[in-house]
Amino acid sequence: MEDEKNCTGPLMIALQYNDLFDLDSISASTNTDDALPKGRAVTFVKAVQIVNERLVEQKETESLLFEVILIAKECSEEIKMKIVESVKYYGLEIGKFFFCKKEELINTLQSNKVKLFLSTDRDDVCEALHTGIPAAFLYDQCDDHVLSQLKVIISGDVIGFTEDSLDSLSDFGFSETQIETFKAAKICMKEFAVLIGQMRRKFGRENSPLCICVLTAWGSTNVCASALKTLREWGLDVDEAFCLAGAPCSPILAVVKPHILWDAGLHNIRDLSTHS
Amino acid sequence: MSLDPVQVMKVQDPMPSTCPSASNGDSQASWDDSKDIHENEDSTKKPKSPKPENAVTIAVSSRVLFRTEKEQKVFEQKGIEEYLRYQVEHENEPFAPGPAFPFVKALEAVNSRLRELYPDSEELFDIVLVTYNHAHVGIRLINTINYHNLFIERFCMTGGSSPIGYLKAWHTNLYLSADAEKVREALVEGIAAATMFMSEKQIEVSETQLRVAFDGDAVLFSDESERIFKAHGLDKFFEHERENENRLLDHGPLKGFLEVLGKLQKKFYAKGHRLDCPIRTYLVTARSAASSGIRALKTLRAWGLEMDEALFLAGAPKGPMLEKIRPHIYFDDQMFHVEGAAEMGAIAAHVPYGIAQKYPHIKSTNAGK
Repeated sequence: MEDEKNCTGPLMIALQYNDLFDLDSISASTNTDDALPKGRAVTFVKAVQIVNERLVEQKETESLLFEVILIAKECSEEIKMKIVESVKYYGLEIGKFFFCKKEELINTLQSNKVKLFLSTDRDDVCEALHTGIPAAFLYDQCDDHVLSQLKVIISGDVIGFTEDSLDSLSDFGFSETQIETFKAAKICMKEFAVLIGQMRRKFGRENSPLCICVLTAWGSTNVCASALKTLREWGLDVDEAFCLAGAPCSPILAVVKPHILWDAGLHNIRDLSTHS
Repeated sequence: MSLDPVQVMKVQDPMPSTCPSASNGDSQASWDDSKDIHENEDSTKKPKSPKPENAVTIAVSSRVLFRTEKEQKVFEQKGIEEYLRYQVEHENEPFAPGPAFPFVKALEAVNSRLRELYPDSEELFDIVLVTYNHAHVGIRLINTINYHNLFIERFCMTGGSSPIGYLKAWHTNLYLSADAEKVREALVEGIAAATMFMSEKQIEVSETQLRVAFDGDAVLFSDESERIFKAHGLDKFFEHERENENRLLDHGPLKGFLEVLGKLQKKFYAKGHRLDCPIRTYLVTARSAASSGIRALKTLRAWGLEMDEALFLAGAPKGPMLEKIRPHIYFDDQMFHVEGAAEMGAIAAHVPYGIAQKYPHIKSTNAGK
């Protein structure tokens, strides 16, 4: 497709260390020599590593690989050491570490041309989107999830609705700020979609370590079709598609078990506004 | 069966709609999505889909809703990449209706009547397309849904993974598929399910009244009596039934579905529509009215379930009876009967449950029960 020539360099994904490690479970009784306890993002990083392995298997000089960078805000020297050690301990391939102040998060993301910022914190995701940084939600994986695929869900609503139609989402109880977040996400998504599409095409339909899904939570089947067509134009061939027409997302997400949920918060809000 | 390629440009709304949100600037003719946003209460647009736990959810696979034989052949002979390429190439050609199509249309007819009588209720049929097709086929499926004016707003295209988890997530009351393996899996999980096949002959069915017919043993009831019959023969069967006349039969995989149909029927009766109820249920059993049938009737009564018509055939072939009834779907646990029904053009579905799956009926004997 058109962007084929532009696929230089890695697909950089930024994580925060408090998603990589579960700091809340550290108690007074924890041995300080142990590595930090694993957080949600560890299974994600492992899945990413598998995709990279398969890409390199196919082409040793492959440049379009995932690169994960870790951002840590407001850390003491002690914690910094701990982080680096723990990353090594779990065998996680982290490209770069950034230790910065809280206010510097957005700058750090921007200056490193991050293609995707992943976080479990909805506010962080929304803030990033509003400043034009592609950001998505890191979905909570169960620990026993079998790591055979990296699963990415893209919102059919955000892609399928036109800009004007997104405004009408207020009928479902979304606030203006929320709608602005969806619009911001719509703009940011394209670059990521193009890159991940290129990556996906390096594998066949079956046995792919990467799986792309479209989830349309509110829009009709036609909105979903519009999303599928648009993604196809961008070079992204989708594997799985779901259209919920207002049904609660959580039961479906629990079966899909995605790692990345690109929907600007649509799934959280919806479970609340079904009481409309 | 090939259809002329249809340019599906406009959404075909079954109801006339006024569009409150502006589509004035929107010159896009295709996928005009501003028309499709679900509205809340008082709207003249497409009605909102009910919450899965409130509705009677019917999950259908793409191979039973539509005819996809040609595409299946491509898949089997040339593999998945070629299959997907073929589907995308023919994206604007809608599929022809499959075996479950009349059933789905009848469900929609019932929904219209329910909405008239109970405009705020969510106790409706909700049809979900659950297919393990890849999303590549999605656009063609959506085109086809629009072409046939079906009201299907929900789907899961699982791209090759098992659909069973999704069936549970949708609170599925009935799952129809062409794949016996998946149907068996669903039954094991306690979900009513049946396999459907395309037959060449198809008798006309009503467009206004949903007719659902059930076999008794191993469908509504457990296969307890079937077991006795298969193991010890007809006489032992009669003896067993006589002795146990007052002991209820255990429930079978489709009892739950009959139950939810009954609940919807009562909603019509409550508004004075008993005689012209748009849902009608039939029991079509090889049991005989005078003897073994009594236990079946007593069981149904104890369960609080009413059947509109109970046909005790005492071993006579079911085909001619089904031809008279013209059900939108007939559930039977024995392939022999399903095939017999199909020969007469009746729409039959196989429930792969119970002892009959291990000891299929031998065509030469047609023993009465």
